[in-house]
Amino acid sequence: MTTLSPPAERIWWKQPLDRLEGTWIAIALVWSLIMFFMMPIWHVYGKQNLSNEAYKTTPEAYMAKVQAMVDQHTVRKETDLQLPVVKPPPGSDVYMLGRLWQWWPLLELQKGKTYRLHLSSMDWQHGFSLQPLNVNMQVVPGYEMVLTITPDTSGEFTVICNEFCGIGHHTMVGKIYVTP
Amino acid sequence: MFVHLEATMTDSTPGDTAPPQGSDADIPAMQKILDNPFLLLFLGIMFPTVLYIVWGVMEIVTIPLSH
Repeated sequence: MTTLSPPAERIWWKQPLDRLEGTWIAIALVWSLIMFFMMPIWHVYGKQNLSNEAYKTTPEAYMAKVQAMVDQHTVRKETDLQLPVVKPPPGSDVYMLGRLWQWWPLLELQKGKTYRLHLSSMDWQHGFSLQPLNVNMQVVPGYEMVLTITPDTSGEFTVICNEFCGIGHHTMVGKIYVTP
Repeated sequence: MFVHLEATMTDSTPGDTAPPQGSDADIPAMQKILDNPFLLLFLGIMFPTVLYIVWGVMEIVTIPLSH
């Protein structure tokens, strides 16, 4: 077959399908379907790309909710900056905010318990990234995202920012402790 | 690669050229769509606009207020 000359004028849809072309189409179709169905499968069984709830809020209103939780459930302070470590009751709403350039506060959760993790930003767009699980959620001011999470391993988890947000972006590191 | 052009290109039966005159019914519906460039232009703009922009804006304006 060559494309050096124009195709012969013929009713192309009445030509029998070339075997090689048919095989190619079948393989491409099967692979496309595999990739398509992997998307919902990863979403449901992958535990990484989570469905979130979204609500409209304001930075001031959200800050008030974060502060209320910090005031009620702080268990200790860490580092020179005296960052609060908050241990909320299992099954409750947990709040974390992102701002230039901090994830605040630190959280201490219990393994096997479910929490509704609320996320919002005070100023710019940030990328909440829970490591090493690599659970990612974009966080923007004016919108409150809620993830329902159940930690299933104890240990220390780091939160980094994976949406470039200025000169201090790489210093934006938070922590979630999961106690057994 | 030298291939006999005669052998590969003439797999059409005699008389199997353009559809017989006046028989629109012979052209499949999908082929008619593909033959209409302005329809294709319309679909090419309409589908992405509706599925992405319109649907996206609808989702955004219906985000509930936080309590």
